[in-house]
Amino acid sequence: MTDSVRAKPDDSTIVRVRGLTTVLNGKTIFDALDLDIPRGKVTAIMGPSGTGKTTLLKHITGQMRGQSGEVWVDGRNVSALRRDQLFELRERIGYLFQNSALLTDFDVFENVAFPLRQHTELPEVLIRNIVLTKLQAVGLRGAARLLPTELSGGMARRVALARAIVFDPMLILYDEPFVGLDPIALNQVLKLIRTLNETLGITSVLVAHELAAVQQVADHVYLIANGKVVAQGDPKLIAGDGSPWTRQFFGGEADGPVPFQYPAGDYAASLGFKGGA
Amino acid sequence: MSAPRDNIVTRSLAQIGDCGLFLLQILAAIPRSLRHTRETVRQLWFVGAMSLIIIMVCGLFVGMVLGLQLYDVLSIFGGTSATGTVVAIAIYRELGPVVTALLFAGRAGTSVTAEIGLMRATDQIAAMEMMAVDPIAYVAVPRFLAGVIAMPLLCCVFCALGIFGGHLVGVNWLGIDNGTFWSNMTATVDLAKDVINGVLWKSVVFGVVVSLIAVFQGYTTPPTSEGVAYATTRTVVASSIAILALDFVLTAFLM
Repeated sequence: MTDSVRAKPDDSTIVRVRGLTTVLNGKTIFDALDLDIPRGKVTAIMGPSGTGKTTLLKHITGQMRGQSGEVWVDGRNVSALRRDQLFELRERIGYLFQNSALLTDFDVFENVAFPLRQHTELPEVLIRNIVLTKLQAVGLRGAARLLPTELSGGMARRVALARAIVFDPMLILYDEPFVGLDPIALNQVLKLIRTLNETLGITSVLVAHELAAVQQVADHVYLIANGKVVAQGDPKLIAGDGSPWTRQFFGGEADGPVPFQYPAGDYAASLGFKGGA
Repeated sequence: MSAPRDNIVTRSLAQIGDCGLFLLQILAAIPRSLRHTRETVRQLWFVGAMSLIIIMVCGLFVGMVLGLQLYDVLSIFGGTSATGTVVAIAIYRELGPVVTALLFAGRAGTSVTAEIGLMRATDQIAAMEMMAVDPIAYVAVPRFLAGVIAMPLLCCVFCALGIFGGHLVGVNWLGIDNGTFWSNMTATVDLAKDVINGVLWKSVVFGVVVSLIAVFQGYTTPPTSEGVAYATTRTVVASSIAILALDFVLTAFLM
């Protein structure tokens, strides 16, 4: 393996992003972004909508590549990996999609068993036990034979979570894991993320907007805006750090460094008033 | 570098090029997809067995109407005994493979396109990528192979029902002698020229083309409801044009 692909792993950092610049459809998403995800911790990525949080997860998993910069995962330069090397890396990464992305041809059990069937030759009894254990963890063992179309949004998300953890990966990426969950399911998912982190040492990266939930579960939080990290730190303290970014984002204010309005011409002129510019 | 796609001609040419590259990807992924034999069999059931009814019904009626028309025309020349022969040659050489392929594009091709398109729109393809499962090998190849295998089989069924339809009208209804119908047919129809060239080669080629178009359109569709709708329409339009154009080319080469 070439040096550009594998470097000496830094044990304390599982994901290292350096100088990542990404331009999509003429819009700069990341502008020389630098970011480190510590190993064995729960890290939250927050930021206004459209700021590139999901895009960052896609960079980490090699689904997207930037115009410049590097993304290192577990000591491997993702942008330099061949497809088979990328697949090898992805077998050790769990990914929870925003919309669950369950395979609609299969029932809940088969969805969770899918990665096991594709990558292992485990006996059926063992597959059954692993799948039921994961479903029990998300509270859906009883729903094993339901089809994805028979699940609510929150249930589908929990099934997707069971599927993401079926291999006990080294890193789990959660894209908006708390959306659509009722308070009971939310609390259980928070506990599950924490338990996975504490018992198995799995690193978790959460993309989320819910500060209260993030404060319960995350060890570290990054606030991304305008293509850069604009604030970071302890989730319980970050909201009060006094910067205009955190004040606007966590205070939910329309006015601030992040424009609420998408760039547009003069409002009065758009409405046809003569006084418009 | 991608070509500028600013007018319909360059867009169409670029899409044919993309489709060709996609075929190479599919061919390269066939060895990897061998471990998904169960999925290929499942798709064979879906695109093949589930298309049987429409193929059988249409084959029967095409044979019946052909028998009726030919009897009417041949009776002018006193040649109604040749009805069986002409029905068989028309069905084996042209109508069998062409109509089967057109029906297959409408029945199975559209559903394959819509299914893959919706899988893309709902991130199922991306989820497979993230689970380190190659979607070309798991999604595209089984559907492609199923189409290529199913088409000649469906064509045989269509032809058999077509001949039966012709016999039903010619012999049972219009009174042509049963022995004359069969003996003229078997004496004239050539296994290599009519059956192998017509039924086998044409339907295999049509199977490749229709399956490729259906899978390609689904796989490359924009992940929106409008994108899936357009892709489904494009599958029928492109398949129909390709089938009829290739039919002419193949006929010219195989005659």
